Parts: sequence; C-alpha cells; structure tokens
Amino acid sequence: MIKKIKKYLNIWWMMSVNSFSMVLSQKLALSMFLVGKVFRFTFFFLFLFFLLKGTGSLAGYSVNQIIFFFLTFNLLDVLTQFLFREVYNFRPMIIKGDFDLILVKPVNSLFRVLMGGADVIDLITIPPIIILIIIYGASLHPTLIGIVIYLVLLLNSFLIATAFHIAILAFAIVTLEIDHAVMIYRDVTNLGKLPVDIYKEPLRGFLTYLIPVGVMMTLPARALMGVATTVGIIVSIFIGFTSIFLALKFWKFALTKYTSASS
Amino acid sequence: MKKYLQIFKISFEEEFAYRLNFILWRVRNVLQIFLTYFLWSTVYSDPARQVFGYDRTKILTYVFGIMIVRALVMSARAMDVSRDVANGDLSNFLTKPVNYFKYWFTRDVASKSLNFIFAVVEFALLFLVLKPPFLFQTNLTILLAFFASIVIAILIYFLILFLLSSIPFWIPEIGWGSHFLVSIVIVESLSGSLFPINILPPVLQSIIMATPFPYLIYFPIEVYLGNITGGALIGGMMVAAAWVGVLGVSLNIVWKRGLKVYQSFGR
Repeated sequence: MIKKIKKYLNIWWMMSVNSFSMVLSQKLALSMFLVGKVFRFTFFFLFLFFLLKGTGSLAGYSVNQIIFFFLTFNLLDVLTQFLFREVYNFRPMIIKGDFDLILVKPVNSLFRVLMGGADVIDLITIPPIIILIIIYGASLHPTLIGIVIYLVLLLNSFLIATAFHIAILAFAIVTLEIDHAVMIYRDVTNLGKLPVDIYKEPLRGFLTYLIPVGVMMTLPARALMGVATTVGIIVSIFIGFTSIFLALKFWKFALTKYTSASS
Repeated sequence: MKKYLQIFKISFEEEFAYRLNFILWRVRNVLQIFLTYFLWSTVYSDPARQVFGYDRTKILTYVFGIMIVRALVMSARAMDVSRDVANGDLSNFLTKPVNYFKYWFTRDVASKSLNFIFAVVEFALLFLVLKPPFLFQTNLTILLAFFASIVIAILIYFLILFLLSSIPFWIPEIGWGSHFLVSIVIVESLSGSLFPINILPPVLQSIIMATPFPYLIYFPIEVYLGNITGGALIGGMMVAAAWVGVLGVSLNIVWKRGLKVYQSFGR
C-alpha cells in the first residue's frame, strides 16, 4: 500500500512539474491570471470590509466572522482548482478519443484525469490565504477542540469537492458536456462565499443538504466559532463519505459508456 | 444595411444552434444573481433601514436592474476578435466587402437581443418567486436618460473588447489572459455588477468613477433609480460620452498600427 502511494505521489509530482513548466513558459499570461485572481479576491475582501463597517453585522455575524467564512471558502476553492485543474481539459480528450491513451496506461485513469495538471497560479495564492485564515481565525479566539473540528470538517469539505469533480468527469463521458457543468458547480459553490444563513428557505435547505454548499463552506467556519451542533457535524461527515462513494460508483458506470469516438 | 441584417439573422440563429450551452449560460446568470440578491436582502431585512443612500426597495431594484442591464451591455461576441487576430482568420474578413467593426457590432446586437429576451423571462420568474419591493420608474425624463446611458454603455463595452482583442496583433498568446484580467475580473469588479460603487470610501469611488467601467452598469442603474439627476446626470453623461471618444480614437490608432504588423499567423 505504501509502495503504491509512493508511486502515485511520484507520478503526481512529475505531472505537476510538467504542468508548471508549461505555465511558467508563458510568463506574461501567468502574471495576468495571477493579477486577475489577486485583484478579484482583494476587491471582494474590501467590499465585505466596507459593507460591514457600514452595517455592523450580517445575519448576526461580526466583520471578522464574515471575513473568516469568506477566507474558508477561498481556501477550499483555490485548493480544489490547484489540484483538479485537469478536469477543465477533459472534454477534448473525450471528443477526440484521446482518453484511450490514458486507459491503456498502467496508471489509474481517474487519478490521471482528475489530478494530471496542477495549477501553479492557484498554488501561489494558497499561502497568503492560509496566513489570513490564521490571523482572522485567531481573532475569533477558538478553543483547541474547535480548531481540530474545523480542520476535520475542512478535510470533509475537500472530500465532497472531490466527489463533485469526479461526478463532473463522469458526466462528461456520458453527455460530452463538461464546460458548463464545472462552471455551474463553481457558481453554486460561490453561494458559499458567505454563510448560508443569509439565504431564505427553501434555498437554504437546498444549499445545506441537497447541494451541500453549507456543509462544505459554512459548517467548518461555524465549528471554529463554536456554534456548530454535534448532529450537524456527524451528518456532514456522513454526507462526505456518501458523496465520494456515489461519485466513484458513477465514474465506474460512466466508463462502461465510453465509446472511444473519433479515436 | 441589408447584409448586416443578414448577419444579424445568422448570428441570432447561431446562438440557438447550441441550445444546451446557451440555456446553461443563462442558468449561471441566475445563480450569480442569488448571492447578490440574498446578501442585500439580509442587509436590508429591516424595511425602514437606510444605509449607503439606499433603502430596501432601491437596493433590490438595483440587484434586479443588474440582470437587465448586464444582458444589454455585457452580452457580446466581440471577444472572439482576439481569436481571429491570433490565428489569422482576420484575413478572411479583410478580403470581403464587409466592415469588420460593423460585422462584430451586428453580432453583438444579435447576442444582446437574445440575452435580453431571456433576461426578461428570468426577471419575471424571479420577481414572482422572490416578490421583492421594486421601483417602477415612471418619470419620462429619467427613463430617456436611462436609455441614453445604456446606449453609451454598449458602445464603451464594445470599444473595450475591441481594444483588448487588438493585443494579439503584438502578443498572440495573451489573448485570453488579457480578456480574463480586464473583461472578466476588472469589469465585473468595477462596473457595479457585484455591488453599488458608492458603498466604498469616497477616495476609492472617485478613482473608480474616473475609469470607464462604472458607466457600464452602476451609472445606468443609478440614473434609473433617480439617484443621479440634474447637473450630476449631465456631468456623468459627458464623462461617459468622453470615454466613448477616447476609446474610439485609441481603437482607431491601435487597429491601424495592428494591421501594419499583422502577419496572418496560422493561415
């Protein structure tokens, strides 16, 4: 098992180095995307800051709490984009039949199409977000148990995000449609930039359990603040494992539908 | 005129050729409006609350206004010009008796018409579901000023897209990068499509108002709401019109120089 993990870590490292080399060879384009991402983050951060300066609170949360929700959302969003960028390149592989070349290799095909192209631009933005999370998280005076639950729930959110990306890949094999599917996923998760408490029912319930944006984005931050319930935490972990189980089943089903068209 | 009418018809039909794509694109637009709507609805949950110069009715009218104004101003195809320049397809147009600017403007109008129709339907559906308080403007002068500001906004956006699309004349590989930075990130942030610019501190507001971006969304909606009237309205219109002039002249110079260095790569 350890040997297998080592092998896959090596493969991931090699694929990431190739992917980074490709991006770094176009420095101007890289800097434009980087500036764009930093600008968008900073501008929304400033907006929240000035909005809450004027209103005092939002849905019962203070300035620092709202910013912490926003930072937690950003960490998950950037982390998934960094690791799963290759998902955005999957459609041409399916349409041209190039996926055949991956299927015949002695590497797990899902691993290759999910994690085959780590994004260096997102990698650069991860450390500043973590530093901001530590600063704003500390300002909320969390307990040790609160921090531990926050980290566990972050992992659980990452599991759900992974399940979504696997489902999107499977969906692409079945329907050939991926570009909008992945963007709709991002639009829906964007609703988790702020705590789901701001939404009214039935949208709030829909975002909490059916498309678990609330579980992914809001619950970890609430746990750190000490306002998450034990039942909520258990249900969220159940959702995490169920979603990854269903996504893998869907992937296996989708592989049986692959027609190798155009190859 | 007849040929541009044909281009309009073909472009309109082309948008319908990829129905699923188009419908999913509209679904994305609706999803994006949810965050803005519920954020402001929560901030103004008390109907008597007045912050940043807005009450509940005005701010939710602003949010619903974004849907319509975005469909009219920011639905465009002219970003594809950068691809034409980068891969040499521009040569096909240079040899045809078609004005390239008018061609793309016609395609933009087709895209705007279709998106506007869908935006109106979405507006009506969301209006029925969310039942927000809404300011129906009845002052004819304000409505005329609103339509004039929309026309100016359409021209500004078209010129910005064309200027960005001229960059591949010199650096073909950053066509998408420049569009991402300017037409997606900067325009989205500074146009007022996320929030009204006047919630920011006065210094930041002044800096942003000196750029062409707030005249795309923020200014037309503020005119509609009746928040900009009299001298401020005339002044704002003049600044927006001046931006059309500046961007138009810049495009003229940049495009002519671009054509001189154009080598029809990839043909």
